Amino acid sequence: MKAASSPGEWIRQAILLLLGLLALFPLYFSVVNSFKNPVQYASSLLNVPAQLHPENYAVAWAQIAGPMLNSVVVTLVSVVLTLVFASLSAYAFALMDFPGRHLLFGLTFALLLIPEFLTLIPLYLQIKALPLPSNYLAIILPTIAAGQAFSILVLRTTFENIPREILEAARMDGSGHLQTLLRVVLPVCLPALISVAIIRLIPVWNDFLLPSLVLDEAHRTLPMALVAFQGGGASTLTTPNYGALMAAYVLSAVPLVLLFMFLMRSYIEGLTSGSVKG
Amino acid sequence: MQANAVNSRRSSRARSTLLGRIWQGRLAYLFLLPSLLLMGWFSYYPAFTALTRAFTDWDGLNTPNFTGLENFQRAVSDPVMGQASINSAIWVVLGLFLAVVPPLVVAELIFHLRGPRRQYFYRTLFIVPIVIPSLVLLLVWSNFYRSDGLINQALGALHLSGLQHGWLSDPKTALYSLIFLGFPYIDAFFLLLLYSGLQNIPQEVLEAARLEGATGLRRVLKIDLPLLAPQLRLIALLAIIGNVQYFISPLVLTSGGPGFSTTVPALLMYNTAVKFGEYGYAMSIAVLLFLVVAVLTVVSQRLSKASEGRA
Repeated sequence: MKAASSPGEWIRQAILLLLGLLALFPLYFSVVNSFKNPVQYASSLLNVPAQLHPENYAVAWAQIAGPMLNSVVVTLVSVVLTLVFASLSAYAFALMDFPGRHLLFGLTFALLLIPEFLTLIPLYLQIKALPLPSNYLAIILPTIAAGQAFSILVLRTTFENIPREILEAARMDGSGHLQTLLRVVLPVCLPALISVAIIRLIPVWNDFLLPSLVLDEAHRTLPMALVAFQGGGASTLTTPNYGALMAAYVLSAVPLVLLFMFLMRSYIEGLTSGSVKG
Repeated sequence: MQANAVNSRRSSRARSTLLGRIWQGRLAYLFLLPSLLLMGWFSYYPAFTALTRAFTDWDGLNTPNFTGLENFQRAVSDPVMGQASINSAIWVVLGLFLAVVPPLVVAELIFHLRGPRRQYFYRTLFIVPIVIPSLVLLLVWSNFYRSDGLINQALGALHLSGLQHGWLSDPKTALYSLIFLGFPYIDAFFLLLLYSGLQNIPQEVLEAARLEGATGLRRVLKIDLPLLAPQLRLIALLAIIGNVQYFISPLVLTSGGPGFSTTVPALLMYNTAVKFGEYGYAMSIAVLLFLVVAVLTVVSQRLSKASEGRA
């Protein structure tokens, strides 16, 4: 049995490695070109430059530091509050009895069927007309709302599968619903909470359409800043500073890279386990 | 008013009446309140606005007047909408292929690797690209497509200068350049879905197939594909729905041009509203798209039920 090194095995690995590296090629392209000055950029797009120009990163950082901070604030607050509100609702749907439970759950579930493009424009006008204490809330509140249906659905299933004895024990100790949720249910379901958080995090970090409509210049997020930096349009004659542009792309991926260094395993497990089968 | 009614009945027989049970469940309603308020105000209400204002001359400023089916008649007879619908149909068909085939091929290749460690390594390799923000991917690719970009340089190096051109500025290639943006098209979620589907095939089935001499491509066609049918149907549905409503790359990279060569109905809806302020007309396009999505969903559910019935 020389199975581990059969020709078929080598071919499969070679194809996978090639495809995998090609999928990462845009990242390589951004990194090597982020260290070039315009002359180096014009001479070759693929090589690692002989002389590095890290000052591109200073130029890029000046452009995107504010938006980066905005994106971090918007993403973290949105995802955390999504989990808080979804946990409360999922607890009520999974472990409490009250009239209208099925109806309200049906209404929540039905939201998965309402596509984003249908609500985009009315939402934009509605938010513009709504006086909010902070422009951040103009994107945070609709983002939390958009994440509720999916998060409640996943968490409800998880909460329902908690062994009854654990919940009974908590009740015997005289713990009320809120205490049970905080001290028993959430700690037991931490892996599910992390999965939901990561699954929501990616689209929120990448969100472009609604933010570009409702956020002002001071509160704009990273995707908006990148599009503005590029200058938009594929065939413009003005040549931007490509090195700095690429540096901005690299910087904008850094938070996700950091996050995934720690959470890649939970992300994969979250996606492959039952949590998204509903 | 309702609270008064609840209080007055609260005494002895309260538990048995509906109002009494509602009062009993008050903590549950309190738990649900934030979610329900947010979903009501930021999801249901805008959807209701879209569905009702589609029948009006809403301009965002004045009180909308009911205009019946006028917006819909205009949408159906608008030549731009016709071109946009054709573009969208091309996008949906090619996008379906790109959503299903590359992740399936990679899932099969990984699944046939020997040893769980090796499989884990390659599975991770294909998920890592999600750290690239989606707009960065679009912008880097628009750079590849430039007339002095990577693709034309590669064609020059291969002595194929005849094929060089501005990929996004030529109306003949702009749409296809957007559709085929993002090589090698391996969606991490679709890949994991198919891979875990393959893992769930019972060992006995694989063993039986091996004994009958079904290996390689024959096994894939005879065993894997039928058993992966639920995952493939889900991916197909998600890809179709996703591509019907997608318009970020035409919005950011080509503004729907040159001409209307990369305009899709969703972009037309966006521009009609945001650029021209014809919100009522924009909503009628949104409602038409919503109907398309709804019909496609229902049809695909029916088809999958029917095929399950046959199996």
